[in-house]
Amino acid sequence: MADEIYHPDKYFQDPAEEFARKYPHHHRTFFNRPDFTRRRFFQLAGAGLSGSYLLGQQAAPPVISSQNMATKNTAKNCIFILLTGAISTRDSWNLKVTPDIAASVVTRMNPTMINNVNWPVGIFPKLGQHLGDIALVRSMSSWALVHSLAQTWAQIGRNPAAALGNIAPNIGSVVAIEKDTERKPGQVFPAFVALNSGGGIGNGYFSANYAPFRLNQPNGTNGTAGIPGTTNANGQTVFNNMFSRLHQIDDPLRTNSPYGTPLQDYDAFYSAAKGMMYNSAVTQAFTFSAADSQRYGVNNAGNSFGNACLVAKQVLAADQGTRFIQITLGGWDMHSDIYGLQNPNGTNMFTLGPQLDSGVAALIDDLKATGQFDKTLIVMVGEFGRTPGISGAGGRDHFLLMSAFMAGGGVSGGKVIGATNADNSSVTTYGWAGSSGAPAPRYVRPEDIESTIYSAMGIDWTTIRYDDPFKRGFEYVPFASEGTYGPVNELWS
Amino acid sequence: MAILRIVAACGAGLFITAAGFMLAKPQDPSPETPVEVSTDTSAAELPVSDPSCTFFGSNRDKFNGSRRLIEKARLTATVADQLPVASDVMAAFAANAASAMPSAPGGSRTDTLQHSANNIDKYLFQAMSDAGVAPAPPTTDYEFVRRVTLDLTGRIPTADAVTSFVNDSSFDKRTKLVDALMASPEWVDKWTIWFGDFLQNNSQNTQINRNILGVVAFNNYIRDSLTSGKPYNQMARELISAAGASSYTQGELNYIVGGYMGGGPVQDQFDLQAANTAETFLGISHLNCLLCHNGRGHLDSLSLWGYYTTRQQAWGMASFMSRTLAQGTPNGTTPPWSVQNTRVVDYQLNTTTGNRPARCSVDANGRCIGATQTVKPTYMFDGTVAPAGQDYRAFLGQKITSDFQFARATVNYIWEYFFGLGIVSPSNQFDPMRLDPDNPPTDCPSDKNPCTLQPTNARLLNALAQDFINSGYNLKALMKEIANSRAYQLSSRYTGTWDPNSQTLFARHLVRRLWSEEVADAITQSSGITATYTNANWNPTTVNWAMKLPEPRNTGGNGTAASVGFLDAFLRGNRDDQDRRGDGSISQALDLMNDNFIMQRVNSTAATSLIVKALAMPNDQLVSTLFLNVLSRYPTAAEMSTALQNLQTQSTRTQEARYLYWSLFNKVDFVFNY
Repeated sequence: MADEIYHPDKYFQDPAEEFARKYPHHHRTFFNRPDFTRRRFFQLAGAGLSGSYLLGQQAAPPVISSQNMATKNTAKNCIFILLTGAISTRDSWNLKVTPDIAASVVTRMNPTMINNVNWPVGIFPKLGQHLGDIALVRSMSSWALVHSLAQTWAQIGRNPAAALGNIAPNIGSVVAIEKDTERKPGQVFPAFVALNSGGGIGNGYFSANYAPFRLNQPNGTNGTAGIPGTTNANGQTVFNNMFSRLHQIDDPLRTNSPYGTPLQDYDAFYSAAKGMMYNSAVTQAFTFSAADSQRYGVNNAGNSFGNACLVAKQVLAADQGTRFIQITLGGWDMHSDIYGLQNPNGTNMFTLGPQLDSGVAALIDDLKATGQFDKTLIVMVGEFGRTPGISGAGGRDHFLLMSAFMAGGGVSGGKVIGATNADNSSVTTYGWAGSSGAPAPRYVRPEDIESTIYSAMGIDWTTIRYDDPFKRGFEYVPFASEGTYGPVNELWS
Repeated sequence: MAILRIVAACGAGLFITAAGFMLAKPQDPSPETPVEVSTDTSAAELPVSDPSCTFFGSNRDKFNGSRRLIEKARLTATVADQLPVASDVMAAFAANAASAMPSAPGGSRTDTLQHSANNIDKYLFQAMSDAGVAPAPPTTDYEFVRRVTLDLTGRIPTADAVTSFVNDSSFDKRTKLVDALMASPEWVDKWTIWFGDFLQNNSQNTQINRNILGVVAFNNYIRDSLTSGKPYNQMARELISAAGASSYTQGELNYIVGGYMGGGPVQDQFDLQAANTAETFLGISHLNCLLCHNGRGHLDSLSLWGYYTTRQQAWGMASFMSRTLAQGTPNGTTPPWSVQNTRVVDYQLNTTTGNRPARCSVDANGRCIGATQTVKPTYMFDGTVAPAGQDYRAFLGQKITSDFQFARATVNYIWEYFFGLGIVSPSNQFDPMRLDPDNPPTDCPSDKNPCTLQPTNARLLNALAQDFINSGYNLKALMKEIANSRAYQLSSRYTGTWDPNSQTLFARHLVRRLWSEEVADAITQSSGITATYTNANWNPTTVNWAMKLPEPRNTGGNGTAASVGFLDAFLRGNRDDQDRRGDGSISQALDLMNDNFIMQRVNSTAATSLIVKALAMPNDQLVSTLFLNVLSRYPTAAEMSTALQNLQTQSTRTQEARYLYWSLFNKVDFVFNY
């Protein structure tokens, strides 16, 4: 049974056909699915695009099926922090002190038992004080050892090379499309915001309404007054006049469109852009003081990660329609000198770790202070792990075994799921029940993390949308209707 | 723009070393066990989507032609729907021509019928007919002059260029226009940037630093080659075989330098340099995969040739780089770089660490077993071994450029730019065993293998490649053949029902969003206000057009010029891990509406500015002048009527004129090339 489920061919067979083959009497086969004509495709793909998404309206919703799973539904929002380069989890969330680490480094790490967790207080002091809020999954395994592939995998929650992998949207875009009907009039922020994530994955085949709004945060503590380009040199009144002239001269040309209303992405960007202009909510959300910046660990020298965490908190607090924020913090690919023994000022655990520590700890503090912590799911992962042994260059190389860091949004603080051996080279306890179609013992996979996020946010992870251009049905989580992957429910209990 | 070096190749991450090379298999629950590397061709099959293959990272949309096809087709359809009705625009031209030049007709193209001997038309229209797909209507003159000016020179046509072209009644005006555009200095600017992207000329990539001085030298090498009309095979040979003391003075050295790879043995560098060369000049990026492992079990459903090809053969290609010493001066990686052929040993199979799997069989202690094998430089496509004492890279350059595949790959890359879709797509994944229409693949080993001809029109591709060879690898001749074809001159409008799958027949032109540099320069040119971009390290230090910037990183201007933020918003890429993209975004909308680059021109009171000049004209001429300069067409009757109404009845004429001017930058037909 385990072999059958994990047959490699699964990755490029049509999952829907396979599923239909397995359950011939209960589900429509490929040929019996609604056949979408080209016109209908545009209508469906345009769902949410007609007019401005500001109104949160949709055209006729696409055909959607699911297994009607009971979701956890405790998180209103999600902050997804991708640690690109792949953080060494045995030097962070799953600390292992082994004889091959220099004594001076161990001292500097200051391993301290807190709540039965051995924590490198010397690298992550502030998070060390939040262990009662944090859950750790230590039995996670990536599928791939290569950065770009694995980073994409983490963001789309499936093999980028598999069926529909190449058009799959970011998890954030799925959240955006699912939450579109919850938008309130007057909310002007895009549902999906990507901070410092220029190379990140976008909306796939979903319309541009669900694309990440990308913004890079500045280094340093100077703050920023809103988003650049959200005011016009001629002032708001004149801008509105100009905008109305644009539509006067442009709109009549669209009446020959067979689709009636402007469905094109181009217009969606303009509507969204206008909605963000002259809006104090926007300005406030993206402006911060030097003091706040410092509280998030940013000093004059730089580092924009803290500012990204700060802005993320503010954007969610503004309650302007943003539901998913991705933040990327890179530099973790520490193949050499991971402990800074050769170059203390290089990029190593002791220089990069505190940036992460300050930013995320301040984020948790602020969310708790405003009562938002229990409604905000924080997920922090790299694309894979790092080797148990130290390389010749004094660093660690790529390794599949890794840990995930979760907090808030209904996650049970202090939980540790899974365990590994003394040098983190293999799992000793998987620590969870697995999924219905793929029970324990097994690793937690990026697809399971994806399922967890959806469940936390009240999204049925077994959903299939029949609006993809290949007419195969887009599964939010691959093979989820067969239970191949599922949420890590041990996180909640 | 097709090419992107696969930086995150099978090797950018370090694989397990002493513990053995691990492949990630989707298997649970047993912990992973180390697997010994083997070049045994009978090794067990692995799924092609095995996670250790690097192909499908964040640049994955490059690797799936059908995704881009559907997106481009959808974009084409929606943009085409937003364009003014062509007959309305042509009527406006006719109306204006009638009043200005009574003897000139509205303008119609007639001369392309002369090109029935054009190979492109011969093959494409036959294919359309065979498939029962009607082609789109031909471009009107105003569509054509704007499109071809942008595609060839990266500029929109001036107002005069538009009206004189449309009003010209000579039968060969289109071919004359193509010739004139290619003879212009702007052609050199545009294609210097295109080749800069193609050859990845940047000051800092994931592996190395070229320094802006290296970039400028490389940029000027490309510029000089294009200006002098250097045959492309010569340029390719120069790039592949370049040797010299300083990348600051010998621009072509910067190509091989781009393949430098640290963090491992020198064989990793040879591999990357060979992989880049195969991708750039042969369109075969799978060599990069084969330098980690045999094709069988990995490339099965991607490439029939790959299925049959081994890592050993791939090493033969990498061996051509084995005498190359690229190093920074004065020390390892600090530019300027020197590139010399002073290494003394061929490609050795004696590595167990670094960026690629071990190149030998490994014992329990992680050391190579047996005597070190050495691989002689062997051209994998015909088995030729470089004679002893030969300059290996010169020999490789000769082999590659005389390979028919060189012509085919080049023609396909250029085709992809003009048509928005390659005849082989993705354009860097040629499968050498599936290209010959007289020898289509048969009896493929398994049903996983692709077993059809790869090009969507194999005879066309071969004919174009042969034309290119016959012209002496003349890039202008190739572009001329493309631009003069009826197929290229089809409109993006379509009458009747359109099936996006027909795009492989090229029955309709795909729209594309303008490049960053094209947007910036269109704004500059139409405004009458000069832009100035300056950097003390450039040569020359000041330029007035974004299309003259030596690289898309951190270069922009201030004041009258487009800022870095503006240029980056239109996704010009970094010639490294981020490709140039045509996506839209909220930031682009914000910039086109509010950026100072636009607003200073909208608000200008300078006598030489377009808006001030237009304000001095009567209202209808004001409107026409703005449209002609910014959108390269006359306003339709409906647009004119709306505009006149505002000018005549609103409070301030000047204000309304500026509003109108601003609107034109934000109309969809400004930022797209249709």
